[in-house]
Amino acid sequence: MQLFVNVLLSGVVQGMAFAVVALGLVLISRATGIVNFAQGAMGMFTTFIAFSLLTNGLGYWPAFAATLAIGFAFGAVVERTLIRPLQGKPALNSVIVTIGLLVVLEGLAGSIWGNVARGFPAAFSQRGLVIGTTRVAFSQFDVFIVCAVALLVAAVVALFRWTDLGLRMRAAAFSPEVSRLLGVRVGRLFTLGWALACAAGSLAGLIVAPLSSFSPYYMDLYLVYGFTAAVLGGLLSPAGAVVGGLATGLAIAFVGGYLGSDLQPIAALALLLLVLTLRPQGLFGTAEIRRV
Amino acid sequence: MLRVEGLSVRYGPVDALRDVSFEARRGEVTTVLGANGAGKTTLLRALSGLVPTRAGTATFDGAAITDRGPETIARMGIAHVPEGRGVITELTVDENLRLGTFACLPRSERRHAIEEIYEYFPLLAGRRRRSASFLSGGERQMLAIGRALVSRPRLLLLDEPSLGLAPIVTAQIMATLRDLTSASGLGAVLVEQNARSALSIADWAVVLNLGRVVVADQPARLAADTDLRHHYLGF
Repeated sequence: MQLFVNVLLSGVVQGMAFAVVALGLVLISRATGIVNFAQGAMGMFTTFIAFSLLTNGLGYWPAFAATLAIGFAFGAVVERTLIRPLQGKPALNSVIVTIGLLVVLEGLAGSIWGNVARGFPAAFSQRGLVIGTTRVAFSQFDVFIVCAVALLVAAVVALFRWTDLGLRMRAAAFSPEVSRLLGVRVGRLFTLGWALACAAGSLAGLIVAPLSSFSPYYMDLYLVYGFTAAVLGGLLSPAGAVVGGLATGLAIAFVGGYLGSDLQPIAALALLLLVLTLRPQGLFGTAEIRRV
Repeated sequence: MLRVEGLSVRYGPVDALRDVSFEARRGEVTTVLGANGAGKTTLLRALSGLVPTRAGTATFDGAAITDRGPETIARMGIAHVPEGRGVITELTVDENLRLGTFACLPRSERRHAIEEIYEYFPLLAGRRRRSASFLSGGERQMLAIGRALVSRPRLLLLDEPSLGLAPIVTAQIMATLRDLTSASGLGAVLVEQNARSALSIADWAVVLNLGRVVVADQPARLAADTDLRHHYLGF
């Protein structure tokens, strides 16, 4: 029973981390119709910037806020300089550019900060909470992860659903040409989509770093899981990213808890293949949900 | 209000439009006719900035609009209803209309402008919360026209509004267009394959063939010219 509860709780926390990676992928896929393979690496890079800020004496929360802002700006710059010039070319060109960016960022981070595994501080205590008399695998930091991701996703869903800006972003994503004819400045919204996605990537980097060993490659596995989560959720729906993230997190937590952690990446791959074969539009890939 | 002079557009080695000149007046429907591939759609896309021009100019109330970019041209008061209607089916009817208000209307007038469109097209009012994907072809055309009108444009560019519609629905759309232009001074450029119904409501007609203007005249005179009709208009 205790094993079950602990596996469940760690699955939820992992799932929220996957969800925030998936959210970044979804935002970019909606805006520019491509999969950003550098989503994890961009978060990794900004988290290394946070690491430098922290080691130079900045407090955790100022560094946290600065990192999200840097991520936002970084996403905008990448869109304007690397992705925009490829507009109108086959999507594969942009996808390959994002793979190139992944390689460049990991190499650059290695040469600036070194290819060693470090520890990265967490915002709150990582000791499990005591409920009754037993200590469960759920810490204050885990509570923070769940709340932060839930808040971010709720904000993104509210933005899309209830604001004029969100309506413009959805219109630009679904029908860029018609949107331009209605006077919507589509290019700016694509930039904004990338900026939001990379701010989400920075949040992912900051919450994942204390959970794993912090090196230039620590986000790679999370990109794979996040991608699984995004596909599971239909690649276009922010809410789907959360459900997909939780499903992926729980699936690999149970595989890890009961079958052994070696099997986790294989389980994620099997899940991905299963979804792509049985429901390529994702669990929520109906017209209704895609409106979100 | 719209003056086009010597407009040329090229797609790679192909001349899609060559030296096209015509004028569209306030309160009038100017129809542009011709067979498939005559350059009708290209003409509208060039006017609204979706395709670059190679030569020539277009001016709207004295201001040059050639190659200004679609977002800017839309904000100047030209509303283009594209071929296939351009209703965004992932959005609701109301969201489609809201989208039309952003460019030209101040925030305080937007809701009022949308309600005016619902009064004009009561069918849409009953479906405002529904996804536009549930609308019939005729309703989608109404929504597309409504979304263009909600921005209170001075010039409407319509690309084949009759495409895929039953004759009776086409007649309704044409009558609506006639009413709108006569009543409010709105100008309209109507591109049509369905020459007969376009000529029935137009004030001026331009016939394109292989990217060139073949003839421009009063609709009644074109309709009376059997040779021309058989050659270019298909009826």
